[in-house]
Amino acid sequence: MVDAVSSMSGRAAPRRPWWLTGFGGGLVTALPVLLIGLAVMMLAPNYHQNLAATAAINLIIVVGLQVFMGNSGVAHLGHSAFVGLGAYGMAILATPVMMKRLSIPNAPLGLAQVQLHPLLAVAVSLAIVAIVAMASGRVIARLSGIAATIVSLAFLIVVHSMFLHWPALFKGNQGFFGIPQVVGLPGVLACTVAVIVVARLFRESPNGLQLRATAQNAQAADALAIDARALRRQAWLLSALICALAGVLYALLAGTISPRIFYFQQVFMTLAMLILGGMGTVTGAVAGTLILSIGLEMIRSLESGVTVAGIELPAMLGLSGVALGAVIVLCMSLRPQGICGPYELDEMLTRALRRFRGGR
Amino acid sequence: MEYLVQQLVNALAFGSEYALVALGLAVVFSIMGLVNFAHGEVIGASAYTVFLAAGLGSPAAAVVLAVLAAMVVSVALERVAFRPVRNAPTTTGLLTAFGVSIFLQNLFQLLISPRPQAFSLFNGMSTTWHLGPYAVSSLQVMEFVIAAVAMAALVLFLNRSTLGIAMRAASRDFSTVRLMGIRANRVIAAAFAISGALAGIACVFILARRGGVTPDMGFSLVLKAFVACVIGGFGSLVGAAAGGILLGFIEVGLLAALPQEMGGLKEALTYVIVTLILLYKPEGLFGARRELGDKEF
Amino acid sequence: MSALLRLEGLTVDYGPVRAVHGLDLTVAAGELVALLGPNGAGKSSTIGAITGLVSCSGKVMFDGADITRMPAEMRVERGIAASPEGRRVFANLSVAENLRLGAATRKDSTAMRADMARYLELFPVLAERYDQPAGTLSGGEQQMLAIARALMSRPKLLLLDEPSLGLAPLIVARIFDFIGRLKAEGMTVLLVEQNAAQAMRFADRVYVLATGQTSYAGPASELVGSDLMAMYLRS
Repeated sequence: MVDAVSSMSGRAAPRRPWWLTGFGGGLVTALPVLLIGLAVMMLAPNYHQNLAATAAINLIIVVGLQVFMGNSGVAHLGHSAFVGLGAYGMAILATPVMMKRLSIPNAPLGLAQVQLHPLLAVAVSLAIVAIVAMASGRVIARLSGIAATIVSLAFLIVVHSMFLHWPALFKGNQGFFGIPQVVGLPGVLACTVAVIVVARLFRESPNGLQLRATAQNAQAADALAIDARALRRQAWLLSALICALAGVLYALLAGTISPRIFYFQQVFMTLAMLILGGMGTVTGAVAGTLILSIGLEMIRSLESGVTVAGIELPAMLGLSGVALGAVIVLCMSLRPQGICGPYELDEMLTRALRRFRGGR
Repeated sequence: MEYLVQQLVNALAFGSEYALVALGLAVVFSIMGLVNFAHGEVIGASAYTVFLAAGLGSPAAAVVLAVLAAMVVSVALERVAFRPVRNAPTTTGLLTAFGVSIFLQNLFQLLISPRPQAFSLFNGMSTTWHLGPYAVSSLQVMEFVIAAVAMAALVLFLNRSTLGIAMRAASRDFSTVRLMGIRANRVIAAAFAISGALAGIACVFILARRGGVTPDMGFSLVLKAFVACVIGGFGSLVGAAAGGILLGFIEVGLLAALPQEMGGLKEALTYVIVTLILLYKPEGLFGARRELGDKEF
Repeated sequence: MSALLRLEGLTVDYGPVRAVHGLDLTVAAGELVALLGPNGAGKSSTIGAITGLVSCSGKVMFDGADITRMPAEMRVERGIAASPEGRRVFANLSVAENLRLGAATRKDSTAMRADMARYLELFPVLAERYDQPAGTLSGGEQQMLAIARALMSRPKLLLLDEPSLGLAPLIVARIFDFIGRLKAEGMTVLLVEQNAAQAMRFADRVYVLATGQTSYAGPASELVGSDLMAMYLRS
């Protein structure tokens, strides 16, 4: 980013290194989240703290989605599979043996007897997810945009099917309970900030920039010897790890998980959040999640049937889905770049400041 | 031997269903570059229309209604939801369609019911026929035959009629088609109408087989149809049909080969096999390997 | 002399960029008018405005009617046909199918078949490749196909956008021979070209465009061989 003002004075300004832009930008982007989170922590009752923690976990998922979709330009519809893998990894590895003897006594590899310290379990889960992501990434990166999207969907279905139909290890539809609940809003918030910074770092890194170039014009990028496939694999891996982290946090927060959480409902919701905020930026992920989290809460209360001004409204199941669908469709036709557009928060602030100073 | 024949008929029937839906997707994609995730909801809308009109009493009328409703909904969706994003990049169209799909599925839930609704008008279609010494399901045989007839009709249309030829031209160069005096909207509406008709036919067979309507009945079918398109080579009509039939064989084959308890894994394994096929041939079985910078052809 | 085609104050903008600035142009029935100029002069934008594929302001009058707001498809029905820049034959369709689409607006199938036979006779190479995909044809063959395809609709006005583009001189000469024949048979042609020499062979009148504005407009005879030619066209 050459400083336009100083170049006008005839001297080229030193280019800011990408990791500084990424790190600083990430902190700026994370600041609103941090502030809101701190406010909730200090002022709000427990129920709201839980809501905020769940919203923050959703934010991590959306950022993970943005890392792949926003940089590669390929629609990714299977990210919840990685969330689920992270969550089930924790469930299988960190749940006390006593509980496991009840829920998954016949687990293969003697996993029913294993109980790892939560931190170790996190590391092992993420390592397993990394292996799955690297394998699946090889396939996804080879395919054209649309085929990759559909295979990402297939991936979601396969993983979900595995959760559902391998009860010996995953306990199936009934729900895996007893996961140690060692995480609260502070921990989730810290992870959220870290994830935002990491996402920004990737975006501003040479790899991230090159990947975005391939999304704009694949042929030109090819001519520059940019290895689009390798870059897409990297983005896929990073995206998977971030989503898995969200899953890990969810498991440690909620204590109980089941396969249907990590399926289409979550995909739709997080996708709508990203589209609304803007796929191209991490700021967009943050903005979209904030807006829709609040919006959906309001709609959900309508869904279960509330009394408004003395009139008892009936339960309207499906209303939140209708709203999500409408958000996506309207956004795509009216403002495809989302609310935030192509610039990150720090970039928007810099531009505004420059305009204000330059008086242009 | 009887078992083999029945499984063959099974595979052909399922394959035909996938092929019909996949063809509908491929027709729209090849002309407009739109990955129509909402196609499944055309099936759902058609099913709900017929369900709500169950007072008709006549299965034949219901069949006609199903196909007509599917065509109308398909064309209407294009007019309302997809025209604004007609010239947008592919990902935008894909996500729009996805949004429409979510919207409609939940609308069905909201307006009618989240629970399955019974529909028995087509149950009479399912009897047993005897082909020589073998007993097969009449429904499955009809499904295959009618799908084949529909596909033949489509091929004829695309090769003989001016509108069909225009559709094939539009899949490469839409604006020059307009330069021939052929209305753009007419070509697109025709594509969606054909897509809808194929979906409507598939819907009739689904209703006959399941006897019920659910809000998401089209969604999982469309996912599989997309997979069929991808195996066959996205955008290729032949590929879509072939991919659909192949998918039918893979599924039925897996179901026959897997032990009872692992039946639930049939879905997962199908997709795994599909992924392996794609690893071997990323452009699909009938797709042309296109290098960046290939000149048009 | 009533003009078949009249452009009044034609302005074409692509966002903030103005490609054509208030162009006035007429083509009378039976004339061959050449629109010359270098790259970026606005020639193709002008053709786009006439065919309707490009939006414009000003007035486009054709055959007595104001067609400025008329959609592209309807203009073909009224009698405008174009061989677009870069030929744009339908590569995945056969030669026959390309020609058939050219006649899409016609209802008289017998006369249509007669026309098709006539063009196949005129261009034997098209008859040879009748069932082959148009994408396999050479550049010159594709140009002949594009012109034949445009003629299939029996237009009153034929627009030719840079027919010589990317073709070898020998082929270009043959194509312009054919264009000369068309003119001799009474077809009204608006010809856009960078190759001024060929364009001037049969032109009645010439407009020279530079950066969207007319720098010369007048009879071709005046321009040929004069100092003006060197000045305006550098050829």
